[in-house]
Formats: sequence, C-alpha cells, structure tokens
Amino acid sequence: MRRPRKSCPVCEAGVRFIDYKDERMLSRFQTERGKIIPSRLSGMCARHQRQLARAIKRARHIALLPFISGYSR
Amino acid sequence: MKREYELVYIFDSALEEAQINERLDRFHALLKTPDTPEPITETNHWGKRTLAYEIRGKEVGYYVVVHFEAEPTMLGELERALKLDEGVIRYLIVVNEGLSAAGVSAAHDSGPSPRRRDDDDEGGDE
Repeated sequence: MRRPRKSCPVCEAGVRFIDYKDERMLSRFQTERGKIIPSRLSGMCARHQRQLARAIKRARHIALLPFISGYSR
Repeated sequence: MKREYELVYIFDSALEEAQINERLDRFHALLKTPDTPEPITETNHWGKRTLAYEIRGKEVGYYVVVHFEAEPTMLGELERALKLDEGVIRYLIVVNEGLSAAGVSAAHDSGPSPRRRDDDDEGGDE
C-alpha cells in the first residue's frame, strides 16, 4: 500500500531558493542529533531536498548548524 | 566573465572592530581591478554569534557577509590571503544566487523564537 504523497513544505511556503544563512528554517529539517531529515519523511520535493542538503552543509561549514548536536566529550 | 559571489567571514571575536575593518579593506583591495574599481556590492556585519561548534577552541565568532563581483580567476589570491590570516577562523565563498546578505535570522532578531541557539544569556531572549 502506498501512502499519498505529502506536499512539499518549502513549495507551500512559496520559497524558491533555500538560503543557507537561515539556520532556523534549516534546523526544522534536521533531527535532534543534527542529521538531515530524508524527503521520504518530510515530504520535500526532490528539487528542494537537493537545495536543502546543500544549504545545511554550507550552514554547517560556517558553524550556523552543528554537524552533531547534543554531543559532548 | 564576471560573476557575483557571496563571502561569509568568521573572524576571531577577540579582534577589535577596527582590526576587522582593516582586514576587510585589505582583502577587498585584492579584488579591485581597473575593470571593477568597486567590487563590493553589499556588506553586512552580523556581529558576534555563538558558533554551533568549537573552531580552534573558540566558541564565538564575528560574522561578516559580503557580496562582490569578480572574475573567477581572482578568487585564488583572495582565498590564499584568507587562509593565511590567523584572524579569520572560517570563510565561505559561494556563487550568489540572488539571496540577500542580511542574515535571515538577524532579520528575525526582534521576534522571540524558542529555536534560537545563538544567545549568550545576556539578552534574555523571551
């Protein structure tokens, strides 16, 4: 049985390009450990999922988002 | 062919404002050519923010976002200077896709948000 496709949360918000500097919006698509949530769970369309992945990786590089959150030595 | 780029600097937060501006002037002088006397189109100081993770033992960085126009061949020289400078703890150069230099989260700074992680306890966010 196949579930009907969820609609893309980013398309619905009317966003064309995902900004890697908007860490609050990006963090909605991360797990609590900081992993990128797969589109299968978030319902993101393929185009936005690609943009999201790139944006999160850029945001991690400039320390706006953690690579792993909730981890301490 | 000239392209538009976006550059994010993270400076050591121990630097004074004047030292940061001096460095910005020095880096931006590298981009100047007879063709483009004013390569910088937009500059935005986000100021001090807590880093999401420690970089070289530092927890706070001073963010500056700059938009500029340059030939792709000019970037090598700029990157070399950025890598050599100890005051720059991280940088990112990307092709600008028409986004603004203002930090999106800096723009929402007036509104309280439970998801903020960049507070340093002084403001009392909410």
